[in-house]
Amino acid sequence: MRIGLRLPFLTLVAAAALLAACAAPPPAAAPGAPKKTIAVVTPYVANETTKYVIDRFRKEAEARGWQVTVTDTAGDFNLLVSRIKDAVTQKVDAIVLGMGDPAQMTQGLEAARQANIPVFGIDAGNAPGVLVNVTSDNASLGKLSAETLAKAIGERGSVIMFTHDPHPGVRARAAAAAETFAAYPNIKVIEKKHIEVPGPVDNARKITEDLLTAYPDNGAIAGIWAGWDEPALGAVQAALAAGRAEIKVVGVDGTDFAKAEIAKKGPFIASVAQDFDAMAAKTAELIGAYFNGKKPESEAILIPGKLVTAENAK
Amino acid sequence: MREGRLLRAIAAPWARLTRAQSLLWARKWGTLVGFAALVIFFSLLRPSVFPTVQNWSNIIEQVATLAIVSVMVTAVMVTGDFDLSVGALASLAGVVAVDLMANHGVPVMLAILIALLVGVVGGAMNGLLVAYGGLSAFVATLATMTAYGGVALLYTDGATLFSGIPESFRWLGQGDVAGIPTPVIVMLVMVFLAWLLMEHTVFGRRLYAIGGNAEASYLVGIAVQRLRLAAFVLSGFGAALSGVILASRLFSAHPQAGNPFMLGAAAAVFLGATAFREGEPHVLGTVLGVLIMGVLGNGLNILGVNSYIQSILTGVIIVLAVLISSLSRRR
Repeated sequence: MRIGLRLPFLTLVAAAALLAACAAPPPAAAPGAPKKTIAVVTPYVANETTKYVIDRFRKEAEARGWQVTVTDTAGDFNLLVSRIKDAVTQKVDAIVLGMGDPAQMTQGLEAARQANIPVFGIDAGNAPGVLVNVTSDNASLGKLSAETLAKAIGERGSVIMFTHDPHPGVRARAAAAAETFAAYPNIKVIEKKHIEVPGPVDNARKITEDLLTAYPDNGAIAGIWAGWDEPALGAVQAALAAGRAEIKVVGVDGTDFAKAEIAKKGPFIASVAQDFDAMAAKTAELIGAYFNGKKPESEAILIPGKLVTAENAK
Repeated sequence: MREGRLLRAIAAPWARLTRAQSLLWARKWGTLVGFAALVIFFSLLRPSVFPTVQNWSNIIEQVATLAIVSVMVTAVMVTGDFDLSVGALASLAGVVAVDLMANHGVPVMLAILIALLVGVVGGAMNGLLVAYGGLSAFVATLATMTAYGGVALLYTDGATLFSGIPESFRWLGQGDVAGIPTPVIVMLVMVFLAWLLMEHTVFGRRLYAIGGNAEASYLVGIAVQRLRLAAFVLSGFGAALSGVILASRLFSAHPQAGNPFMLGAAAAVFLGATAFREGEPHVLGTVLGVLIMGVLGNGLNILGVNSYIQSILTGVIIVLAVLISSLSRRR
């Protein structure tokens, strides 16, 4: 029986040693005060934009001497709740939500609230338990991109919208864009399509191909409005492949691949960049103020966007 | 009265079928009839758009990548195993190929070959865990799906790779030979090879034998574990090939771009297993399954059906097909 127990026991010890070796060394405490720790949890790091803003935030936070951990659950909101609870158990000083709808994480937020750990959202959304959400004014992003498209198509023609309503930011953009288009009497939104994630580029490309078939005449589709840049890219690829380069496409986010495409002066005419640098900086600033005993004045801080066109796309 | 006679004359061959025969007929051809019904339905509703050459070349190009994964996954499913890792492996192969050629100066062909090798190694790993490690295929590939997906995210740091891709890579996903898109040609070749392998070689027949009864196969001297391993290698290879073609088609590599292949391939194989014969997976059935899903997505888009309803309908159709097939087999 002894021998029977020894092997599993040794395996366990070995596994524990391995885990300990893999784990990060404990942070060297700053003289005087213990180092503040911040847990960033996100369902979406595999998204260009989310990754960028989280990287920026990490820089801002580390410059302030805080220790930052980033956890990505790859689209799994259920797991996200567990990760928030883990952060609560570890008694971090603050939790940052890197995008993702907080309404889907109420259980985790409740745990944070009970433990008195503040939750800051970066482009996440407002919900009970989120102290403050720093976000782009998504309505203004949607409005600006839709207006740019409307002007580019001469304020007339049929428009297709690519949306993703489960994401509150994209949903707000789409609502504002739809409202903007509705204000033009000669513009008609003929289709609103939900884009699937993951795989938004390929999904948007396929849907665009199908719609180009459904509306085969030149000029039957004047423009395509996409709620973010990835579906816009798929739409552009399909339009080019089908020889329908006259269709104008706009996206939102101003990601690097979108800028590269916009610079080619093809169908991808514009994107509206969210000011992620400002968002990351503002979030870090708010956290710093909170650590100094100052709570944010409002629960939603809105940062305006910047238009990216062929003129200013690198 | 004359009409009555005419009707009886038309109905006569059918009337002669016994209940068992008609069930047999439904079992064999039901899925194909369903597919034809979908095509006719969409053609009637949008006659100027759906049944056109342009739209069909569109559909076939759209399903090419899914078809390549699916026919190779069929090999695994024939033996009664399952491969959940194909989507993650496709994503991984795509980012490996693009990263090597865009950021490390590796020649395009070599980068593609290395990416395919990644698929083969990933598949072999699955096969080793299942055939020699004794894990259930579901557990093993669930674990590797997560791990391979993690490797793809880690490898790219979660970013989309899009800059510095050599123009010559475009040919694989966006080029054509005599007007036939390259992905379609690759698909046709892979379908043919998979069909040949599974239906007309000893290797293929043995895979079916294992799927039928692994114990008996072992007793008659079939190298069961080695063949199960081989099936996973095929599946990994197909996933990687699709992933690389997808990356070329999108001319960018996203660490989760191939993930939807997993559910798509499983659905295609299950749908395909209801066609032509006794409820077992087979290559031509899988191709039919892929086509059904392609036509459904395309047709519903053309009709302007709400995207959420499209998902519901796809689910309903899979359930119906499998249900009809299993009910007819119960006789």
